[in-house]
Amino acid sequence: MKSANSPMNAETISYRGRQLLDRRQFLANNATSLSSIALASMLRNDGLLASASTSPMIDPARPYAPRPSHFPAKAKNVIVIFCAGAVSQLETWDYKPELIKWDDQPLPGGPAVTFQGPAGNLARPQYKFRQRGETGKWVSDMIPHLAELTDDIAFVHSLTSKSNTHGPAENFLSTGFVLDGFPSLGSWVTYALGSENQDLPSYVAIPDPRGVPQNGSNNWGPGFLPAAFQGTTMSAKDPVRHLVASGIAGEADQAARTLLQQMNARHLQAHPGDSKLTARIASYELAARMQLSVPEISDFSSEPEHILKMYGADDTQNTDKAGFARNCILARRLIEKGVRFVQLFNGAYASGGKLNWDGHNALKEQYDIHAEILDQPVAALIRDLRQRGLLENTLVVWCTEFGRMPFFQKGSKGRDHNPDGFTCWLTGAGVKPGVSHGATDEFGRKAIEDIHPLYHFNATILHLLGLDYEKLSFEHNGIQRRLTNVEGKLIPEILA
Amino acid sequence: MKQNHIRCQAASRLFMAMILAFSCVDSIHAADPVDFVRDIRPIFEQHCYDCHGVNDQESGLRLDIKAIAFKGGDNHGPDIIPGEASRSPLIRFVTTDDSNLRMPPDNKLPEHLIETLTRWINEGAVWPDGVDRVTLRDNRDHWSFKPLAEPNLNSQFGFVDPIDGFIMAKLAENGLVMSRETDRLSWLRRVSFDLIGLPPTPEQVKDFLTDDRSDAYERVVDRLLGSARYGERWAQHWLDVVRYADTHGFEVNTERPNAWPYRDYVIRAFNSDTPYDRFIREQIVGDTLGEDAATGFLVTASVLLSGQIGKDAPSIRLARQDSLDEIVNNIGQTFLGLSVGCARCHDHKFDPITSRDYYSMQAFVAGVEYADRKMTTPEAEEQSREAEQLRKRLAEIDNRLTQFSPIARPGTQRPSTSTTGDVDASLLVENQAPPAQVLPLRPTLRPSLNTDRIKPILARRLRFTILSTNGLEPCIDELEVFDPSGTNVALASHGTEVITSGDTIVADRHEPEFINDGLYGNSRSWLSNQPNSGWVELEFPSEAIIERVVWSRDREGKLVDRNTTEYRIEAFTGNDWLIVADSSDRNPVVAGKSPSPSFSTLGLSPLEATEANQVLAEKRVIEKKIKQAEAGQFVFAGKFRAPDKIRLLSRGDPEQPKDEIEPAVIEAFDDIRLNNETPEKERRRVLANWLASPKNPLTARVMVNRIWQGHFGSGLVPTPSDFGNSGMIPTHPELLDWLASEFIRCGWSIKRMHRLIVLSKVYRQSSQSSTEYRSTLIPREQHDLASERSEPDKLDPLAVDAEVRLLWRYPSRRLESEAIRDSMLSVSGLLNSTMYGRGYDLFDKRGGLSGFKPIEELSLENQRRMIYAHKVRRETEAVFGAFDCPDAGQSAPLRRLSTTPIQALNLFNSRFTLDVSAAFAERVTREAGDNLEDQVQHAYQLALNRVPTADELRDIESIVHQHGLAVLCRVLFNCNEFLFVP
Repeated sequence: MKSANSPMNAETISYRGRQLLDRRQFLANNATSLSSIALASMLRNDGLLASASTSPMIDPARPYAPRPSHFPAKAKNVIVIFCAGAVSQLETWDYKPELIKWDDQPLPGGPAVTFQGPAGNLARPQYKFRQRGETGKWVSDMIPHLAELTDDIAFVHSLTSKSNTHGPAENFLSTGFVLDGFPSLGSWVTYALGSENQDLPSYVAIPDPRGVPQNGSNNWGPGFLPAAFQGTTMSAKDPVRHLVASGIAGEADQAARTLLQQMNARHLQAHPGDSKLTARIASYELAARMQLSVPEISDFSSEPEHILKMYGADDTQNTDKAGFARNCILARRLIEKGVRFVQLFNGAYASGGKLNWDGHNALKEQYDIHAEILDQPVAALIRDLRQRGLLENTLVVWCTEFGRMPFFQKGSKGRDHNPDGFTCWLTGAGVKPGVSHGATDEFGRKAIEDIHPLYHFNATILHLLGLDYEKLSFEHNGIQRRLTNVEGKLIPEILA
Repeated sequence: MKQNHIRCQAASRLFMAMILAFSCVDSIHAADPVDFVRDIRPIFEQHCYDCHGVNDQESGLRLDIKAIAFKGGDNHGPDIIPGEASRSPLIRFVTTDDSNLRMPPDNKLPEHLIETLTRWINEGAVWPDGVDRVTLRDNRDHWSFKPLAEPNLNSQFGFVDPIDGFIMAKLAENGLVMSRETDRLSWLRRVSFDLIGLPPTPEQVKDFLTDDRSDAYERVVDRLLGSARYGERWAQHWLDVVRYADTHGFEVNTERPNAWPYRDYVIRAFNSDTPYDRFIREQIVGDTLGEDAATGFLVTASVLLSGQIGKDAPSIRLARQDSLDEIVNNIGQTFLGLSVGCARCHDHKFDPITSRDYYSMQAFVAGVEYADRKMTTPEAEEQSREAEQLRKRLAEIDNRLTQFSPIARPGTQRPSTSTTGDVDASLLVENQAPPAQVLPLRPTLRPSLNTDRIKPILARRLRFTILSTNGLEPCIDELEVFDPSGTNVALASHGTEVITSGDTIVADRHEPEFINDGLYGNSRSWLSNQPNSGWVELEFPSEAIIERVVWSRDREGKLVDRNTTEYRIEAFTGNDWLIVADSSDRNPVVAGKSPSPSFSTLGLSPLEATEANQVLAEKRVIEKKIKQAEAGQFVFAGKFRAPDKIRLLSRGDPEQPKDEIEPAVIEAFDDIRLNNETPEKERRRVLANWLASPKNPLTARVMVNRIWQGHFGSGLVPTPSDFGNSGMIPTHPELLDWLASEFIRCGWSIKRMHRLIVLSKVYRQSSQSSTEYRSTLIPREQHDLASERSEPDKLDPLAVDAEVRLLWRYPSRRLESEAIRDSMLSVSGLLNSTMYGRGYDLFDKRGGLSGFKPIEELSLENQRRMIYAHKVRRETEAVFGAFDCPDAGQSAPLRRLSTTPIQALNLFNSRFTLDVSAAFAERVTREAGDNLEDQVQHAYQLALNRVPTADELRDIESIVHQHGLAVLCRVLFNCNEFLFVP
């Protein structure tokens, strides 16, 4: 047992051990350019599935350095428009004329009790639907601007979630697990790919002007991945925290910076070749560059009038809409600068549907307000990306944690949570335009055709970024964790 | 994957052609029996092994090993039923027309192959033994599942310390040697950070550097291990593993106000060096060992509170399963270093843990509820007695206050047009004699508390009827009825019984008997089963004079729904029911308008008003005191009740229950099994004893490895919570086993392990670079290794062990977030060393949906060590969270130590750093005087424990001269020398 377990004795070690050793020798040969964190991360990833996983090599001095994808990518960057609170598929993208016919009738064989309580009768779509574009896609009048873009969109109408509760379901959408504490999609992507821009965070999460989304920081948390890959929050309104030392004169600040450089340089001389120390020195240099580039990115003075107007950022009557529109402009500016992953939140925390899409009681009234905020700015964002040529390498994702029931809740004019069949969509780089994939039943109660748990949606996003969802993994407590757990699968029908 | 598949297909096309030719000739003659090796295996190889063979076992199905193939996949029984092809799922899968189910997924098997398979099964599915090309590795045959193997030390190392001996031997095997011993100062800083998470003070440095006694090092270790700061440091490591937090997690993330006694328990346990086997027992079954708070361990996970779970039954079942799963996971990860939770949906892929094992483990803890429990520590009992006294006093005061509140006048005619709460006395019509003058209306009903003072009356029964609410079924958390002495005669403990009009029962939340149990809040309340109405009737043990009825929806003031808006109180006097109070004389509830105060001096004489106000003031003081006295009485440490019936769940789905399961430990390890009659406590006791047994091969190994990791940054097993087949193997298996045996031998003393480690030569090595290592190596003659192995590349430790896992030097590392913050406070003289108790605030709120605003201003409270911060799950601290501080979502047995620009921004620019730097500068000026050089010297001594070099002094002095001392302090907190364990 004693020599068999030694990783250093190449004659007697196991297959896995030998592989570890080979990699270690390889790493040792490259030791000058690699750090022990990269080593640790590689070695840690050396589980039984070592042959199947491809761990990115992360240089701690440049954690955001661009890294190669697993195979040629269709999309380089991503914008995720995340609608918190669960947007009703029945008021937006999933047209169910049967609901008009059966309005106010009970759903035959439907559940008596759903998430919030007793079920009421079926309810017609609360908005008028029309056919749009060349594909003739039925989309509601709730979102007239977005409706004009349907020829470019690939809809998946048959998504399912593993939870009917916002918290776990948003975890599931953002991290692939219903439990707290797993890495978010953006963290996975930036962990794998780094970023094209070294002066800005590689992953930016932009909260809605009305507040932080329902599940808060879980949606951009790093879970057990290194903290470097967590989303940095900023919005058009709120800058990155601690960007400047308030109350410190510029000269004193510069003097402190110079002194720190001197001290660290001397310390490094005494500890030559310690990459952890050089990484930390580099992080201060990167921070200094961020201090310049972040204010620049939030400075919209160079945006012409017609662009502000196109997004609705000039709307003085509706400040929530104008605020969200400015966040959309910020998202475009970040993508323009090569930021890898931008998450744009629409909708805030639980509030009885007042601040997000959780329309339990007065769905129509509340959706009138929310749609106004969402529609024009997001449509403008997509158009703007296209006219600048950015859509060719940017993937735009529109998503929400689950859908809503075809019937109203008893005694209310709103729909309860429905994790059994709902719609999200993709557009942009690598996406097949004008597709509607999968279907729910005639009432929109459950997905019945080409059913896709959200795992598949996330797997497809990774795929478009050139990442193999089965290889992108990280060892945590004995398990090779993946975004898609063991249930990843592509949705090839929506790929260009 | 697809590509892979295609490649395989291409490569074997020729092979397939051969097979087909072969099978056509030899096996299709109906008379010949099908032969597995000749006819069947080629089909499997060609069409199945890609997904059901060596590399992949999709859906748990594997067709290349006989024993496993006959077991079948995860979702159904055996796939091959000998003699019954039509019933065999294998045949169903290859023949079905459903493209979602059909196997293989890409192309349907040719008919003749299906026919061959069918015949083979119908002929009895003969699969000869010994023909398989692969054999299954026995996953029980794994190093960590074997008993501790203790090496014979004497023959190996002579007088060398065993730790050093094992490390040196392994280094020698690899042509390496240990580095030179580090200087005393570096060791002192290192051991201080490691053991207490704070740097040494200049005095401690001086004492040690000038201590020439032979046991100077031992003395330092004893001092550090004896310090209360030690427990604060090491409890944090433990809390990381068990994902401790002070909120419930998930979306709503509400405060878990009574979690902290568990945190304090862990600190105390480390400080008092509670033997580790006892530490385990206390955390599993501490309620029987006088350590109530310890079982907080069981319920550290995020949990959905009952209001957050869907109303539909499947949601409720799933939530319960999830919460039990977290307990099993916590136990498996923490004590055994095993990912037991994997077996929730299917047998563990790598380790000998079956689904049945998993649910057997659940059965041990199936009576644990995530809830507060009353603590029975001596302190808590003392506080409880104090609270009881205060409650008596409060009752007296309430009694006095009633003298000032108007007596209820049921049947008052209120003007229907009254839309405000203001009293228009002229409009009041008083129909009850005697008061001739018009009396003001009584206060508006409030969810939090209502008092009805009634004319004293002798009654045996009292009925409280709800006539309307602000929506839904009404809820009342407590109904109290007082006699003139201030005794609550409604209490169940007084002998009073309750009947109701009908109940909605939610276990441990809404039950009829909660209405007079003396406990407040929504979680101890009665809920009617009728919307907007319901009644409760109390029958007192004997007739009593009653004069006051006090009731509420939620005395804790959290909930306002289901609130009564109209009501009637009747007393049964012997013959008749008499209405004694109702809502007719109360100010009506007006939406959007805050209710009138619950007590009003309106209508009192000035003298009465003054007195009433005095009494009211005293009441508030006492209420506050009661709250304080009761704060320590509850701990979120689980409630124990009759265990749920546990069933094996197919794919982990609560909607697919299979056999009932009994409590049992993992079968591969031991055969401890209980029946389902076993009481709840006994179940946990048996589990705890198994975990804490010296015979358990994992327990001691896992813990000594965690201790080792705390000193070297990485364990001997680098995967601290995975000692299973997919974890990494130990670099020094013998050392690990020796440490584990020693741990058990010395009575599971954690402090003894620290002592052994930090006094070893291995730990006392320099953290020098490889360059330095090479330059010092040649002259040294330790074991003559350098000359023995003279190949030059062997002298480069990076070529052999770049990761320093063999410990050819001490691996320095960055401090963790807590250690950085605590050290900054300590160095600047701000550290408040108050221990224990309710956590201090990092944010403007202690829990809730989102939008946590960080508190940036320093206060005496938040100058305590970071372990005493109120830990909001998912919201890491605004400055130090970026330093890989776990968010308590999942277990964090190993801190990542990443480096990010956000860390740099936070540590360089935050209000915290600037304020603490200013305080540091003040301290230095105060202690070192006005001389600039003295100041710099002192600042260096405090932060880095050394004198600045001449070069440093020169750089610094001009800057400090120009911009002030705080600039230097800010820089010291940011420099690598401060942030790294040397």
